[in-house]
Amino acid sequence: MRRRTLAWALGLVAAFAFVAAGCGGGGGSSNNANNNAGNGNTTAATNSGTLTVAIGSEPPSLDPGLATDTTSSYVVMNINTPIVKLGPAPDLKPRPALAQSWDVNGNSVTLHLRSDVTWTDGTKVTAQDVVWSWLRTISPQLGADYAYQFYGIKGAQEYNGCKPSASNNQCNDLKNKVGLSAPDATTVKIQLTSPQPWFMQQLSHVSFIPVSKTAVQKYGDKWTAPGHIVTDGPFKLTSWKHDNSLTLQKYDGWYNASQVKLNTVNLKIITDGSTALQAFNAGNVDVNDTGWPVSETSSLKQKPEYHQFPALGIYYYGFNVKQVTDVNQRKAMALAIDRKTIVENITQAGQVPAPSFTPDGMPGASTINTGSDFLKPTADMTLANQYMSKVKSPVKNITLIFNNAPGHKEIAVAIQSQWQKLGLNVTLKQQDWPQFLQFLGPPPNSSVDAFRMGWVADFPDDINFLSVLECGGGNNYTNWCNKQFDQDLKQATASSSQSQRYQLYQQAEQILTGKNGDMPIAPIYWYTYADLQKSTVQGYKINPMDEIDLSQVSVSQ
Amino acid sequence: MLKFVVRRVLWTIPIILLVILMVFGMMKEIKGSPFRRTERAVPAAVMANLNRKFGLDRPWYVQYERYVRDVFTLDLGPSLVLRNQDVNGIVEEHFPVSAELGGLAMLFAIVVGVPLGVISALRANRFTDYAAMLVANVGFSVPAFLTSTLFIYFFAGKWGGFTGLPTNGWDTWSAKVLPVIALGLGPLTYFARLVRGQMLETLQQDYVRTAKAKGLRWRRVVGVHVLRNSLIPAVTAAGPLLGFIVTGSFIIENIFAIPGIGRYYVTSVEGRDYSTVMGITVLLSILIIVANMVVDILYGVLDPRTREART
Repeated sequence: MRRRTLAWALGLVAAFAFVAAGCGGGGGSSNNANNNAGNGNTTAATNSGTLTVAIGSEPPSLDPGLATDTTSSYVVMNINTPIVKLGPAPDLKPRPALAQSWDVNGNSVTLHLRSDVTWTDGTKVTAQDVVWSWLRTISPQLGADYAYQFYGIKGAQEYNGCKPSASNNQCNDLKNKVGLSAPDATTVKIQLTSPQPWFMQQLSHVSFIPVSKTAVQKYGDKWTAPGHIVTDGPFKLTSWKHDNSLTLQKYDGWYNASQVKLNTVNLKIITDGSTALQAFNAGNVDVNDTGWPVSETSSLKQKPEYHQFPALGIYYYGFNVKQVTDVNQRKAMALAIDRKTIVENITQAGQVPAPSFTPDGMPGASTINTGSDFLKPTADMTLANQYMSKVKSPVKNITLIFNNAPGHKEIAVAIQSQWQKLGLNVTLKQQDWPQFLQFLGPPPNSSVDAFRMGWVADFPDDINFLSVLECGGGNNYTNWCNKQFDQDLKQATASSSQSQRYQLYQQAEQILTGKNGDMPIAPIYWYTYADLQKSTVQGYKINPMDEIDLSQVSVSQ
Repeated sequence: MLKFVVRRVLWTIPIILLVILMVFGMMKEIKGSPFRRTERAVPAAVMANLNRKFGLDRPWYVQYERYVRDVFTLDLGPSLVLRNQDVNGIVEEHFPVSAELGGLAMLFAIVVGVPLGVISALRANRFTDYAAMLVANVGFSVPAFLTSTLFIYFFAGKWGGFTGLPTNGWDTWSAKVLPVIALGLGPLTYFARLVRGQMLETLQQDYVRTAKAKGLRWRRVVGVHVLRNSLIPAVTAAGPLLGFIVTGSFIIENIFAIPGIGRYYVTSVEGRDYSTVMGITVLLSILIIVANMVVDILYGVLDPRTREART
C-alpha cells in the first residue's frame, strides 16, 4: 500500500527525467537537420561558406542614421557599401568603395560614385540617393545622434538645429542651403565649412551610408525589418529574430560578389560572457565577439584561438579642474598612476599603457607623440610627491565616479590605493550609465572631482581625439579651457599641410600631458580589441576603428 | 462566484493606475536620458528634437496622462531605445517566450516537487525523506546564476557530447531543458517542503485514522483525503511564486541567451526606455493580479469551507 504510493510517485519522477533526457539525447541528431534558420544550436557548420558569430547585444537599430553602437555598425557596414573603406594601419587611408574616386579642392569635395552598385530590389544606387540620405540624417525630425558628423558640411548644423514647428518653411529653407548636390547619377558635390583634410576618411563612418528612399518612404519606422529592408552591400539581411539572432546571406548582385567567400553569416546574440565562452568551446559558434569573464583572459591569451588587435581608443580619468584647481596636484595624481600594473594585472588583454592622450596607432603619432614622456607606463612616486609638495592648498578628499560596467571598479580601487600614497583620501562612487552621464553633464556635478571616461575614434585623425577637450565641447567634462589649445586645433582645422597639422597636434598634446601642460586628464591605457576565433576562420580582422569586413572572411573545411 | 470575479476585475483598474503612477515616479527619480547611449555627447539641438519627438519635453502630468491612455487603449507607443520597434511588437514577440519558460518551469516544479513532498511525508524521517529534502534545500539555496552557469558548463559543455544539449538558445526542445530546470528548481523546493509539511500534519488528523480504521485502502486515503487537504498551501503559494518566476526569469534568460521579456525589462530600465518599462510593468502587474485571482478561485474549489464563507 505505502509501497504502491511510493512506486507511483517515483514512477512519475522517473518518467519526467526520461522525457527530459530523451528530448535532449534523441533530439541531438535531428537538431542539425531541423536548423533551417541556421541557428547552430549544436555543432556549428564548419563547412566553408557559413560563419557563426556570437555578438554581445541586440542592435538597437539597423538604420545607418540611427546606428550609434558597435553592434549596429557591425551589421550595417556589412549589409551596405560605405562611401569609402579604410585601408590598413598605420595610415588608414581612404579606399574606393561606393565612391570610386574623388576630388578634394579646399572646401569642395566631389565624389564620383560607381555606376554598378545596386540595391537588393534591383534599382541602381545613385548620387541622389546619397544626398537624400544625408539630408535625412541631418533632418531635425529623425533625431540622429550622429548628425554632428555632418556638421563639417556647410549649412548642416543650422538645418539640424531647426525646430520643426508649424512654419515648416524655415526648416525647408535651411535644408535647401545645405552644401550638398547631385548634378548627375554618379556625382556628389559637397561644400564644407572649412578644408577638412580628414573628411574623406570620415566618410567611411556608418552614418554616411545611404539608405533606400523607396524602402524608407514605403515602410517608415519599420523599414529595417527583414522583408522590408533594402541594402546594397556584400550581404543582405534575411532574418532578424529580435534578441536572438540575425542571419545574413550573400548578395549576388554586389559588384564584388565574386570575391566574397561566405554564403551565410549567423549572428547569435549572447549577452553573457560566460555563456559565450561555453558556446565557443562547445563549437556552437566559430567566433566569440561577445567576450568572456575577465578572470579567463590570462588563460585564454595562451591559446591560438585568441586574437588581439590594436584600437584607436583610450581609457582615461578626467579631473574637474574647478575642484582640483592646482595643476601640480593634477600632475602628481597623473604621475602616481601605475598604468603597467593595471594593464598587466587587471585588464590583461594586451592594452598599452598610455603616456599621452593620442594613441600610438593614430596616423601621425610619431610626430604627435614626440616628447610625450612626462608620464610613464609605471608610477613615478618620487616625482609625484615633489609636485604634490608644491601644491598650496591640496584637495585631500577626492570623489571618483565611474559607471558600473565590468572592470571599472577594479581599476578604480587600484588607483585609489595609488593616490592614497600622495596623502589623498579617495571616495569611490559607482553609478549606472545614464545616471553617470547625467552627473558628468557637462558641466559636471560639483561633487565630481575625478571621473572615468573613454573615447574611441570616429575617424582616424587626431582632431577627433583632441577636440574632445575643446573649451565648451559637449564631450569635455573637465571644465577645462585653454586658449592656446583651442587656437592650435583651429589652426590645424584650417591647414591643408599634413605635416603642419601634425606639428600643431603635437603642441596641443603637450598642453594636455606634457611637462608644462595643464593635465586636465590622466591617460591610463589605449584599448585593444580581442576575440576568439576557430582555426578554420580566416581573414576575420578587427581594424583600429572596431570595424570588421565580412567580405574578406572565409571558413575552411 | 461571478460576483467575486467581477469585483476582482474592477479592482484591477485602480491597482493598475497606482502601479503606473509609482513606476512613472520612480523612473523620473532615477534621472538620465534614453537618448545618450555612448560616451559621445548628443548635440543639444538633436537632444531637443528627440525630446520633442517622444513627448519628453511636456510637463509630467501630460506625460502621465499619455501613458495611462496608451495602456488603456493597448497601444504602448514606440520604444525610445530600439528606434525601429514599438512596445506592442516587443511584447508580442518576447512575452510568449517568457510565458513558455515560466509555464514549463512551473509545471516542472509541480510535477517533481509535489510527488517529492508526498514521498518525503510518507517516508518521514527515513533516508528517503532526508535525501529528498537535501536535494530540495540545495536547489533552493544555490542562486540561479550559479546553477545556470554550472548546468551549462557541465551538461552542455563538458558532457555535451553525451547529452546533446546546447549551451544557449530557445529554439529547439533540447535547448529548453536546462533553463526550465534551472528556473524551476527554486519553486520545486518550495512546493516540496510545503506539501511535505502539510501532509505530515494532515496524516495526524482524526479523520485519517478513522478512514484507515474503516478499512479504506491506504492509497485511497492518501490520494483522496490527505492529498487534497495538503495541496492547499501549495496552491496559495503558486500565485506569488509566479512573481518569483517572472523576476527570476531575467537571470535565466540572460545566461541562456533566451529572447524573453525579462531581459528586455531590465535593459529598458537601464536604458531609460520609459515606454517599454511602462508597458512591461503593466503587463506583469496584470499577470500577477490574474494569477492571484485564479489561485483564489482554485482555493475555493479545493476547500469548500472557503466557498461557503465567501457567498
